[in-house]
Amino acid sequence: MAARGHVQDPNDRRLRPIYDYLDNGNNKMAIQQADKLLKKHKDLHCAKVLKAIGLQRTGKQDEAFSLAQEVATLEPTDDNSLQALTILYREMHRPELVTKLYEAAVKKVPLSEEYHSHLFMAYARVGEYKKMQQAGMALYKTVPKNPYYFWSVMSLVMQAISAQDEKLAQTMFLPLAERMVEKMVKEEKIEAEAEVQLYFMILERLGKYVEALDMVRGPLGEKLTSELQSRENKCMMMYQRLQLWPECNALSYKLLLKNPDEWQFYLSYFDSLFHLMDKSWSPPNEEEHCVEGPVQTTVAEAVKFVVDRMEEEDKKDSRPLRGPYMACLELIHRLRQRGCPDEEELGDPLELMLQFFGKFGDKPCCITDLKIYLHLLPPEQHTQFRNRLGELVPLGEVGEDGFGFPGDTKALQRHLCVCQLSRVLGLQHTLDTEGKLCLITELKAHYHYGLQFGKSCLKTELQFSDTYCLMVAHVYIDLWTETGDENMLWQCLGVLEEGLSYSPSNAQFKLLLLLLFCRLGAFQPVVDLYSSLDAKHVQHDTIGYLLTRYAGSLGQFAAASQSYNFSLRFFHSNQKDTSEYIIQAYKYGAFEKIPEFIAFRTRLNQSLHFAQVRTERMLLDLYTEADITSSLEESVKAMGLCPEEDDIPWDNMRDNRDLTVLFSWDPKDRELTEEHRRLSLEEESVWLKVRSLTLRLLASLALLRHAPSSRNSDKTNENGVSAKSSTLQTLLSQLDLTLQTAAQITEKQTQYPFLGPPSSRLASALSSGSCHCQASALQLSLTLQELETTGLGKMRDVDFRTTGLQPSVHLQKCKGEVLEMKNSRLMTQPSLLETLVFFVETVCVVLWVASYSASVLRPLNSTPVVLSGFQEWTGSLQGIVTQALDHVKGQEASLAALKLAALTLGVGHAQTQECGFTRAAMDKVQTSYLGSLQELGDLLRKRADSLKSLKF
Amino acid sequence: MDNSSLAGSLFQRWLARNKYSKLRSAAPRRQGHCIECMKHLKLYFYLHSNLDPLTETYGIPFYLQYLAHWPEYFIVAEAPGGELMGYIMGKAEGSVAREEWHGHVTALSVAPEFRRLGLAAKLMEMLEEISERKGGFFVDLFVRVSNQVAVNMYKQLGYSVYRTVIEYYSASNGEPDEDAYDMRKALSSDTEKKSIVPIPHPVRPEDIE
Repeated sequence: MAARGHVQDPNDRRLRPIYDYLDNGNNKMAIQQADKLLKKHKDLHCAKVLKAIGLQRTGKQDEAFSLAQEVATLEPTDDNSLQALTILYREMHRPELVTKLYEAAVKKVPLSEEYHSHLFMAYARVGEYKKMQQAGMALYKTVPKNPYYFWSVMSLVMQAISAQDEKLAQTMFLPLAERMVEKMVKEEKIEAEAEVQLYFMILERLGKYVEALDMVRGPLGEKLTSELQSRENKCMMMYQRLQLWPECNALSYKLLLKNPDEWQFYLSYFDSLFHLMDKSWSPPNEEEHCVEGPVQTTVAEAVKFVVDRMEEEDKKDSRPLRGPYMACLELIHRLRQRGCPDEEELGDPLELMLQFFGKFGDKPCCITDLKIYLHLLPPEQHTQFRNRLGELVPLGEVGEDGFGFPGDTKALQRHLCVCQLSRVLGLQHTLDTEGKLCLITELKAHYHYGLQFGKSCLKTELQFSDTYCLMVAHVYIDLWTETGDENMLWQCLGVLEEGLSYSPSNAQFKLLLLLLFCRLGAFQPVVDLYSSLDAKHVQHDTIGYLLTRYAGSLGQFAAASQSYNFSLRFFHSNQKDTSEYIIQAYKYGAFEKIPEFIAFRTRLNQSLHFAQVRTERMLLDLYTEADITSSLEESVKAMGLCPEEDDIPWDNMRDNRDLTVLFSWDPKDRELTEEHRRLSLEEESVWLKVRSLTLRLLASLALLRHAPSSRNSDKTNENGVSAKSSTLQTLLSQLDLTLQTAAQITEKQTQYPFLGPPSSRLASALSSGSCHCQASALQLSLTLQELETTGLGKMRDVDFRTTGLQPSVHLQKCKGEVLEMKNSRLMTQPSLLETLVFFVETVCVVLWVASYSASVLRPLNSTPVVLSGFQEWTGSLQGIVTQALDHVKGQEASLAALKLAALTLGVGHAQTQECGFTRAAMDKVQTSYLGSLQELGDLLRKRADSLKSLKF
Repeated sequence: MDNSSLAGSLFQRWLARNKYSKLRSAAPRRQGHCIECMKHLKLYFYLHSNLDPLTETYGIPFYLQYLAHWPEYFIVAEAPGGELMGYIMGKAEGSVAREEWHGHVTALSVAPEFRRLGLAAKLMEMLEEISERKGGFFVDLFVRVSNQVAVNMYKQLGYSVYRTVIEYYSASNGEPDEDAYDMRKALSSDTEKKSIVPIPHPVRPEDIE
């Protein structure tokens, strides 16, 4: 494919087939071809490297690495070898080796522009800013091209950004960068817009706003042409920083005259106006207010300005802009905040909003826009407002069912907007149960009527009336949470399933269904729903939590593992992807993007969800595989787990979850607050800490099991073991502290809005007793370890029983029916499932400890007393596991025996179709519960088998 | 087309060496329609809210690539309440000597709630303005032949079908899926509107630059 611009080198011709094999994924042939070539041409280093690439790609990493190092130590200077090694190291995730490669090449060929620039890029890939600065300068000295010089300058800026010490940034790196640019300015060597941008960036970071402003307004600023309104935007930013309110006001005014829809400039216009009023500013001279032109300083002028803008829109034949009308409401809001009586001059907010509705009511964004200013209406006006809006909706004649329907999609959209507004105003929430049921009937009628407008819609398009359906679901949820009547929930599921059947691409239907199934403890239907959402990229971080919060906790281990993998794959690719584009940003001079790209990468790396899935993924693997398919020690080793290492950025955790991804038209007092967000993050962090400590404790238990008995080993080994036990001890006391914090948090019993974040697993983990049971089992391993080193003397003291009995208490809490029919109603208890999962996890931990105990006791020739104590313990464990298995079997049997078809759902002919959807949802829940129980039963059986092998 | 091709990257000389002064990249500032300034960092997290089935959500590398090369061509519109209303993403490419230097619309997307407000037209206008400043001869874009709504909208904005590209779109399994119209609008540099004279015969994707 690649065309070459110069005369072909015979080696290139020889290597060509290997490249082609590698490109086509035929690694074996590539290796063979390379071997053949190397027989004839021993010194063709590149062939070796290409062979190494083939080996790397066939999983022979060690061989590949040593072959590569053979070539690397020769410090090659041929292009082919260098580039092939670069690719190999990148695939090995060892970008730091590339820097060594080009450091050597540059030494040997000091005048090569190409190698110097490769070296710079290699440093950029690993973020070695200081070395980048030097490499950039070396490059500039070799070939005096401006970009190289400014790469070096940018590297200084990056040193400033990454400096721990802000003072160092402000007194050393940035001033140096500034001087470097100034030198070029003085010598009139500035060529490109990118260079001016960088200069601006430096001045801005130094807080030299006056200088920055002068620069933008001066001749250098003339280079800022690529971006629209580049100079104006930069000036505006500086005026705001410098609090130059007259200039800010005049510029905003000018720009709004040009484009009366630029919202940001209304804000800066109002801000500056009120600042000027507060300062009683008056122009120094009547002719010229400031460099930007006339300044407005009175409310009267602002009112006139806004009213004029609205009139302009009113006069237009084309589509009116929303900006001016919203600016009017914004101005009222601000005047009211200041207690300024002049707001009346703009008119009554109620009338203005009606006017807005008249103009934009048929656009879906009308609700989003008006929602911001609803607080301008006093509560006693709410009903009146809703009624007046209703008058503006053209509906057809009232039919038999008492409802009139819209005649076209525009009328439908208006009617919908009124429904949405009345929900936002809380008018739906104040209805009693009867009223809400009537509302549901009305909304359903509108929903079904509106479907006719979308008959020709493609599968990928949404139905015009979808929002009615979603709102029905919300009212059902209101009823369910208020009355606890589970029937409401089943009907809600039914209506959403119906909606999805008409509008298979509606993401909101899917998200709400997903949430409801999760809350019901039914994870199986969630898998398909999530995959049909086609979540990609960042979405795995922002909405992935909906899935990963429930996957493992509901006992669907296979699905859990899959969902963790989705997210992890995204996070791992992030690192590689971003460094590539950081380099491109240097090449193309998009300097401003570089810190942004890095901040983006950091934000993902420090993601709460990333840490969660990484931890849960490893725990899940241990629970489902360790000591079953491979030993705990091997599993821990394969994961590269190190108990001493904590890789979670506790102090800088970023909560990237999108907690408002589900539409909500709830009134303000029911919305998700900042406090909710804070509490949810706090709760999730503590739960993550519990999990990550558990994981590290298991890793350290595995190392204990792995360590040879200390009596037979020398001193150093003994030290090694005691180091391990001290890690165990430290981690145990950290866990203890964390559990105390956890208890305090769960006491708060924080309730989040239904459509907000789900509660963490913390509360159920604590109430099930699982955390404490696991902690005390791990404590036992520490005791045993200490006894092992101090000798057998106190072995009698080991009390297996206290540890042994806890799981049975735990099991008691799992008893009950997950799903049952009572008085022809279907009732669920999903919490039982979650408790059962905790129980199974605890059994795993206790059994690992038991297996460690056995390994300690076996070589010690323990006294009969100790041995019988141990055997009694394992015997009781066996009993508990058997009991648990019986319980699971019993649950499975009674679930399978439930005949959901026997349930009568609703009455009347019209509802049969709806009932079908409700029934389908019920079936999904039943099947999912069965699936969970089967997976849990399977795991328990495997654990029971491993317990048998413990006897001796 | 495929950047990951090994031979491609091995043989590729570092052509982009001095490119930035030609491209005149700039730091972008979002603007437009009833919107506020925002940093792109927020954008990556914004785009996630795009669960609309009609809108392609590209991989992060795709966005980063455009931001690194043509940041000024990335314009995002934000509503007063903070919602993402829509965005446009494009690039400048083609030979100046052959009068093929032009602006290209890579992606244009408006969130369902903010449709029918004229936002797409506004974003297109801005992209055209940026291309004008760069001295481009025309602006072009590809659209699915079946996407009649989009084709009509572009026609209203002054675009015309320049040629048909056979099997330009492929399904997720790599199979050819659908033809594209290559639509163009001449800019003021192309005084005689030479660039938009239609090519009567359809072309294959490998024949377009």
